[in-house]
Amino acid sequence: MVAKAGLLLRPRLYWATWLTLLALTVVMLVADGLSVPRLAFLVVVLSAMLVKASLIGAHFMHLRFERLPLALTVIVGLLLTGVILFALIAPDAVRIAAMSHR
Amino acid sequence: MAQAAEQMLDRWSGGVCPFEAGWRKVMMWAFIITDGLLFAGLLGSYGYARIMSARWPDQAAVFDLRLIALMTFILISSSATMANAVGAARDEGARRSVSLRWLLLTILGGAAFLGMQAYEWTHLIGAGARLDGNPWGDPLFASYFFILTGFHGTHVLIGVIVLTALAIRWQKRLASREGVELAGLYWHFVDLVWVFIFTLFYLV
Repeated sequence: MVAKAGLLLRPRLYWATWLTLLALTVVMLVADGLSVPRLAFLVVVLSAMLVKASLIGAHFMHLRFERLPLALTVIVGLLLTGVILFALIAPDAVRIAAMSHR
Repeated sequence: MAQAAEQMLDRWSGGVCPFEAGWRKVMMWAFIITDGLLFAGLLGSYGYARIMSARWPDQAAVFDLRLIALMTFILISSSATMANAVGAARDEGARRSVSLRWLLLTILGGAAFLGMQAYEWTHLIGAGARLDGNPWGDPLFASYFFILTGFHGTHVLIGVIVLTALAIRWQKRLASREGVELAGLYWHFVDLVWVFIFTLFYLV
């Protein structure tokens, strides 16, 4: 019942999400324009990216209002594979770069 | 504990909807997961190329970030209008014209995004960017630009076509409320992918 109610009109939530997404985009662009240290810049933009993705998934795609098994299927399926992809590939990429500079 | 296990067995033993969603919606989510993995693979290989490249160009010197920011603004806004279209379609008390209006705004946003992407491509091709090389540095830079934005742009184009067909069918009362919701899921997914491309390709 909660899921069905959650899928009804929620304009205020949609526009609040839209404003937050725009604000985060502005933060990312400002961080890009400022000469902040590389690590700080990466932390800011990657965090903003993950928050934006979560907001779109939770509010626009209604995952927050779906049954937990459906939400978990999507989130775990995508996140786990994404993490495995990057965790397995990135060390190799660094190693090859180091080898090619020798 | 035993009661909880029994309840779970009841829910998953067949004849009921464990996700409390229709099969079309579950299939749309399955499609989104597989398509998401495709983009994850593309972005993963891009990350690999990026880390091992010694002369990756500075994006600020190649792209007009104001244009990319505008494209991002339009796509995020079209996602908000699509969410409102879905909300209005599901509200049985609302007139069909309300949802149609939001759908048309979403289509307009998608078309504007595609127009700007076409402009960006034309500009970069004019400056010498090719699939196998570019004047700014690592040849893979332009390859990944065309593959990532081209793949995403194709998704946007398909979305615009689907939404146009849906708007016509919705106006003629041939499309269901669930149809609008499924199209919305696809459109938000396209927006979601852009969040990653915008950050990882244009900013980082």
